[in-house]
Parts: sequence; C-alpha cells; structure tokens
Amino acid sequence: MGAISRPGPENEMAGDIQQVFVSTEVLQKRVGELGRAISVDYQGKNPILVGALKGVFFFMADLLRAITIPVEVDFIAISSYSAEARDRGVVRVTKDLDLPVTGRHVIFVEDVVDTGLTLNYLVNSLRARQPASLEVCVLFNKVTRRLIDVPVRYKGFDLPDYFVVGYGLDHHERYRNLPYVGILKPEVLFNTRH
Amino acid sequence: MEEQTKKPQPVFIHPIEQAFARILDFYGVTWEYEPRTFPLAWDQEGNVIEAFKPDFYLPEQNLYVELTTLRPKLTLRKNRKLKKIKELYPDINIKLFKRRELRNMMLRFGMAAEAEQIFGTDAQEKQERD
Repeated sequence: MGAISRPGPENEMAGDIQQVFVSTEVLQKRVGELGRAISVDYQGKNPILVGALKGVFFFMADLLRAITIPVEVDFIAISSYSAEARDRGVVRVTKDLDLPVTGRHVIFVEDVVDTGLTLNYLVNSLRARQPASLEVCVLFNKVTRRLIDVPVRYKGFDLPDYFVVGYGLDHHERYRNLPYVGILKPEVLFNTRH
Repeated sequence: MEEQTKKPQPVFIHPIEQAFARILDFYGVTWEYEPRTFPLAWDQEGNVIEAFKPDFYLPEQNLYVELTTLRPKLTLRKNRKLKKIKELYPDINIKLFKRRELRNMMLRFGMAAEAEQIFGTDAQEKQERD
C-alpha cells in the first residue's frame, strides 16, 4: 500500500483531523477478512454485490479485490436527507440498479449503519425484488444510534458515536478520500462555509 | 412521483423533536408523538406523583424514543427516570438519544445549520422538559 497517502503534512486534510480512529492498515486487514469470508460462504453462488452510493465506493473497491470467487457488482443511490430534500417529500431512488436481482444471491454492501433508516429502506427495496437471498455487509456499525434493527451478516468495525470521516465517509462531501478513518476536530464540524 | 400524505403535525415541545419527526417522515417510518404516559411513583392514596412520557413511539419497531439536548451533567434526573421506567415496565423498549448522538445524527443528515441552532446555546437547553 505504498502509494496510499498517510496523515501528515503532505495531506492537506490531515490538519482537520483530531485523531486517526482506524488506520489504513487496520482497515485493509479487516476488509480482507470480510472478503475471504464472503468468498467461502458464496462459493458457486455468483452473488451480486450491491452498494449504496456514494460513501461505499472505497469499501466496495477494496472488498471486491479481496473476494476470490466470481461476483457481479451494481450500485443504487437514494436521495439523502437534507433541508432541501425534506421539502420535496420522502426518500426516493435517484439511481436504480442496472442488473436484475430477482432470483439472485445479493449482498448489500454499506459503508456505515447508524440509525438504520437508510439501510432499512434500501434492504426493503431490494427484498421487494425477490432475490434468492439477501445479506448485509457493513464496514462501520454505530449501535448507539440504532432506531431500526436490520440483521447484518458481515460487519467490519463497531464505532462509538464520534463524527468520523474518511474512507468514503464525508462531511459536506469532503474527506471521503482520506485513506483512514479519523475524528474531525470540533471546530470543523460546525463550519458550514465550505 | 408518490405524493407524501400530509398528516396533522403535533405541537412539538422542542425543535429537536420536530427535526427528528421530519427525518422519520422522510424515511417512511411511522411514529406517534408522546402517546403514552408511564406512572413512576404513587402517593399513599394511589395518586401518581411522578410520571414519564417518552417523546416518540415507533409502532413498527415497538420502540419508545426519548430525545435530550441537555448537557450530560444535567441529565441525572432524566437518567434516573429512564432507569425507573425500565424497572417498572421491563417489557417496553425505550432508547435515549443523548445530546452528542442527536447532534451527530443531524450533522450526518446534512443539518449543520439546524444543529447549530438547537445545540448552540445553553439558553435553548432550558426549554426542554424532562
């Protein structure tokens, strides 16, 4: 992983990070373990991995490369909650799947689950398409904020309720490209002038 | 496009409750606002002298939700009531969302400005009822 940048003066975003919470090395090790588990469990099943944009794409890319069996991949996107979105009504799919999943073994891949609201909506949407099976793989699990319990078969890390960014997780669309997961400095959290 | 069914909104005590209800509506989660009061203590004549009314009930999850924007050092009374409700009503599911959890939830949902308004001053904390 020599090409991946590390926290330090060379990374302009590192100054906004209070503490590295999950290092690049620990992330890669755990993602590798998840990939190997999926490879064993889905041998001969040709599963489809479905990810919810945008935060999942780093995890999905590394997970796919850690899986050693044939798989297919697709992405779905839904409108995220915001002051503007709430005025437009309820959540809706903004990018639907390209592949049919009916009768297929589906693994829904998500970067983080906290309240369970988004995950519940997406899992219900996938279940309505009648896959042969549907399991959930989540990299970061924040149990403290859980409102709706959705069974998770593959889980990377339990996270306490800190506001973390990096490895796909954003704050105002920034910091996704940090190669590690870090806690944002408090003074950055409420700075809306990005 | 599916039209959102407009339902009459209750009068929320605190702005965080309204923000929370809007998030639930957005994701299609059914909720009720303060639907039940749980007696916690009685006097010798059997009159209720202490009670607790959780902010929300999510019927599909069978979950009561209580929100607090109070700083941790000011939540002793609420924590005591929650402990008592779990002792007296062990079959109900209740979850307390604390100040930092709510703030981070709002930030994660892109509501930084609202979060700053709600959590920004100590004065606003005093409007909360326990």
